[in-house]
Amino acid sequence: MTAIPVPRAGDPAAAPPGFAPRVFAAEAGKGLRLMWRRRGVIISGIVVNGLMYLMIQFFIGGGHLPLPVLALTLPGLFAFIIASTAALQGSGGIAEEVNGGTLEQAHLSPARPSLLAAGRLAALTVEGLIPAVVLAVAFGFGYRPHWVIRPDSLVPLALIVADALGYGLLMTALTLRVASIGAVVHVFNMTIMFFGGMFIPVALFPHGIEIFARFMPTTLGTEVLNTTLAGRGLGAAWSGGTLPWLLVHVVVLAGLGWVTYSRALRRARREGGLSPR
Amino acid sequence: MTSFLTALGNEVRKGLWFAWAERLQISLELPFFTVFILLLGPMLGAGHQIAAGHLSWTLNGGRISLLMIAFVPAMFFYFQAVKLFWRLLGEIQSGTIEQVYLSPLPSWLVAAAGRVAAALIETLILMGVTYALVSAFVTLHFHWTAAALVPVAFLILTAIGYSLIIAGLTLLWKRIQLLQETTLLLLMVFAISALPVLAVPGWFTGIGRVFPATAGVASLYGVMLGHRGVTGLWGTGGLIWVAVTAAAYLAAGITTFRVLERATKARGTLSAY
Repeated sequence: MTAIPVPRAGDPAAAPPGFAPRVFAAEAGKGLRLMWRRRGVIISGIVVNGLMYLMIQFFIGGGHLPLPVLALTLPGLFAFIIASTAALQGSGGIAEEVNGGTLEQAHLSPARPSLLAAGRLAALTVEGLIPAVVLAVAFGFGYRPHWVIRPDSLVPLALIVADALGYGLLMTALTLRVASIGAVVHVFNMTIMFFGGMFIPVALFPHGIEIFARFMPTTLGTEVLNTTLAGRGLGAAWSGGTLPWLLVHVVVLAGLGWVTYSRALRRARREGGLSPR
Repeated sequence: MTSFLTALGNEVRKGLWFAWAERLQISLELPFFTVFILLLGPMLGAGHQIAAGHLSWTLNGGRISLLMIAFVPAMFFYFQAVKLFWRLLGEIQSGTIEQVYLSPLPSWLVAAAGRVAAALIETLILMGVTYALVSAFVTLHFHWTAAALVPVAFLILTAIGYSLIIAGLTLLWKRIQLLQETTLLLLMVFAISALPVLAVPGWFTGIGRVFPATAGVASLYGVMLGHRGVTGLWGTGGLIWVAVTAAAYLAAGITTFRVLERATKARGTLSAY
């Protein structure tokens, strides 16, 4: 008797050459096409987010917009928008696919789940960066905060994006496990907004709350970005301890997001949770 | 009439089952909102202190009481709209909303009224718990009077109208969570603008009056902290403006829901899209 091995879904041996880049591009392209379909909502979101930030600062300033506070909190706005977009759209996207049954179809393909997740994250990065950059540029030119813009600021920017994506992936993973995660994401996002340096610089919180705030996904990145934009360079952030902690935070959160996502997906495949139950 | 009440009861019961399933979310929300209210008090109007690099974190009972007047109604709007939105979205994505529309009962009853009533009951309980949590940390100074029920009733009607607008938009455009979240935050900001926390320009007050919670919050402030009655007719917290806001939002909510519901059905996108 001869046994013929049947390629399993996700088995690389089953995939033709060049398959992996095509899967990645297809998944990222799907996310970007869906984003384009929602462009009206995204544009209005940019406008409303900008207005909301100005209102908050207007209240904190006691009826005017204090420029030094704006300079310190705009990086917090940038980081918040990337993180909140990654979490909301990541969670909303996978819930839509679970409920629509298309997630199950996607995982019938020989593509590795990690490739599909990477494509999903690439689209979320673009979707988060567009509103964040638009608002940062608009407020940057509008209020001309006293920032020292040098290439070293790209390091915290990249780490903020990585941290935000780790958070987004974690929320996406939890969506596969917790039915009511949609509204929970709103609460987590508000926590990031409040404790992540968008209202006031984190160092001004009472000590215990300051420590708690530094566990938030974007807080340390915002602090390092503020250090570089103040012209003190990455060396100051390193010697002050924020940059090393930020690196640890990014590795831990990204790892946690990835592991949780992989496990949640494996469990969903085993228990039939890739489609509505 | 019996089938009407049975359907309404079923929808309310379904909503409350949802709420029970969301107990994890609720256990996360309540401490966050309590901390948020407590910490926001010292931040407001502290721009100069922040620019100078220090901030005094004294909890002032008067200031927190003032903020509670804005936050409890704003959070009521938040919970009402968020819960309605996510539950409706879940039913749209799984296709059960289409089944709901196959029922011979009027769509507004099965698709909106039951869900609104369930979210209302749950939200009222949550607000009570939030109040208790905040008052555990700071003494709140309110003038409790039955007259406060007048702005509260109008606020509930306005919130129902507002959540129906969100429900209609959800039926047509589905994933509107980003827009939803930011609009609710603006609503909170303008609710605070109704209070004498700080001086705001006239144009700001003017814009704030259009937002759903502002008029009700101003009226509630007058009754519970300003030692005024609710019978004053004019101004942002005047009875006329509070009633007009509630009526306008309720009418806009019902109309928007019906129009967008019809458009969604005509496109055939109640669930598949």
